[in-house]
Amino acid sequence: MKKKLYTLSLTCSREMDCPKEVVMWNYYDHEHLIGTHYKLYDHARVIAEKDDWALVYRSKKAPFLPLWTGGLALQRMEGNVMKTTHQDLIGFLLEMEAKFEDLPNDRCRITSSYRIDVHPFFKIFEPFFKKAFTYWFHATWEEDEPMRLRRWKVHKLGFKDFHGIDYINKKLPKLEKINYPKYEFNPPVKIFSTINTQDGMDRPFNSSVEIGYND
Amino acid sequence: MSTENTIKVKKEEGTEAIYQFLSTIEELKKCDGQLTKWIDDHDILLYEFEGQFKAISNICRHFGGPVGYHKAKNGVFTCLWHNWQFSCKDGSNLTHCGLPLRNYDIKIVDEKIYINLLG
Repeated sequence: MKKKLYTLSLTCSREMDCPKEVVMWNYYDHEHLIGTHYKLYDHARVIAEKDDWALVYRSKKAPFLPLWTGGLALQRMEGNVMKTTHQDLIGFLLEMEAKFEDLPNDRCRITSSYRIDVHPFFKIFEPFFKKAFTYWFHATWEEDEPMRLRRWKVHKLGFKDFHGIDYINKKLPKLEKINYPKYEFNPPVKIFSTINTQDGMDRPFNSSVEIGYND
Repeated sequence: MSTENTIKVKKEEGTEAIYQFLSTIEELKKCDGQLTKWIDDHDILLYEFEGQFKAISNICRHFGGPVGYHKAKNGVFTCLWHNWQFSCKDGSNLTHCGLPLRNYDIKIVDEKIYINLLG
């Protein structure tokens, strides 16, 4: 007989000034965890990946607590929804869904829902769950937002992955009008590191003097 | 004709190169010797290294990340997004050698740093 469980759940939503495909790229890019989010993650490893799914191990800092926890995550795309199932070291299974919607004028909305089925005893932790995951959603958003906006900005300037921008590299005058293609998201994101080996990838440092973005 | 924001320099072959105002040396020193600025859709990373002022592209050749987000450590820039590394000496790529950052020609006149976006 199935045990009676209680569901802790939370939904957060925000809008971005870029197409949804840029945000999908960002969500699906495993290497940026120990780059852009170097203060929140210290190790990442892609154990297996094919097309639009990946099994990833990552070590991250727990919200509000001086703890680092490792856990496995299975991430997969189902249409415009990215589904991620995490299992942390304690054994809880966290189901996360990120829904990507187009808005007019190259804008989009992302709605993330988090859900954990727990023993009814853990109902008393519901306020902490909501606070921790609200914090996590917004903390990672703040770090990702300038990345997405910059990615969209350089795309509109003609940036090509592993190449750059022609008028910059070739020292040419910039064209009056740049015809950039529609931003496409074609998983998996190309990997050019050790993240998909047994070693995985560690963040290069845990502290930095940040000059910051200028976009 | 030069203006306050640009200077023109005659090249050997008789053509003129236009340099645009980028920063003052004072501003760069205030930023601890490293700053980034967008000028006419060029993202420039200006810095002082081993007593020399240098300007390179701040756009990582990988996915377009900000190379100069972190202050350089031990003569190396580490791009924020995916940790690609570049030499402060010449912008060469220490992660994937075939993809260096573009170097810009700069001129210093009266404590002001000017950049040639085509040079």
